[in-house]
Amino acid sequence: MTLEQVVAHLIDAAEASEVPFMVVGAFAAGAYGVPRSTRDLDLLVAVQTGGGVGEMIRKLDPLIEFDPQTLFDSLTWGRRHVGHSRASPPFKVELFEVFDDPFVAEQFGRRRRLFIPMLNRHTWLPTPEDVVVQKLRWGRNKDLDDARDVLAVQSPEMLDMDYINRWCEIHGTQERLREALEGIPPL
Amino acid sequence: MQSNPHEDPLALKALQGAIYRDKILRSRALTTAQRLEEVFALSNHQVGMMHAGAMDRLGTTDEAEGWREVRRWFERLDAIREHGRFVREITLNS
Repeated sequence: MTLEQVVAHLIDAAEASEVPFMVVGAFAAGAYGVPRSTRDLDLLVAVQTGGGVGEMIRKLDPLIEFDPQTLFDSLTWGRRHVGHSRASPPFKVELFEVFDDPFVAEQFGRRRRLFIPMLNRHTWLPTPEDVVVQKLRWGRNKDLDDARDVLAVQSPEMLDMDYINRWCEIHGTQERLREALEGIPPL
Repeated sequence: MQSNPHEDPLALKALQGAIYRDKILRSRALTTAQRLEEVFALSNHQVGMMHAGAMDRLGTTDEAEGWREVRRWFERLDAIREHGRFVREITLNS
């Protein structure tokens, strides 16, 4: 099984379960920055509407085995469902539930619909500005690299830097933003 | 003969900058959908290389055994990367 086949199943399961979603993590960063490999497929899912994430997980069960216990992210206290592909290769799927956080709610409301020819499907992505803000907020080394790459590829002149600055100020990540911008070489 | 950039920090930084600049300019030439398709291609390739490496390391021609080893590697990586990051939901019957 290929990663794109897993993604196609996820999109189909979310739509069949009427669960609004968007693709986040390495996929969102790669869509706007420098593509890199990943074995994690991260989806941010809304649980207040439709059939709910439980129905989505049940639909995926023949393909993805989810951990029966929900995890909480100790940084944001968001709920997270983790699953692994039953067949090889061992890809990982993570469903992050939208929760009561002003930034998470705003970025979900601003998501964009995009057609992916390889999948022959539409999917949903955050805006590049929201990818930068989210990556700076998580702040692991690879997140900071992803944020810098999105800033470099999209270019600060084309991004809504006022929006990015506003959230970085709220999250206290202005220093990370400054370092990311300084890491972009003259192009 | 070309000088060794590792012996000259400024030359090494210039080389690193040039490589990164090429990556950025190449990505800028792609559409969003094309970049996503590259994520798929790179990811499938990487896991395939890991599988080949696992089989070689185990000295086996059994593909299933190779995939079990790759799965074990990923579990170890997850444990390291996510240490202290997540807590399990406490349920009454747990």
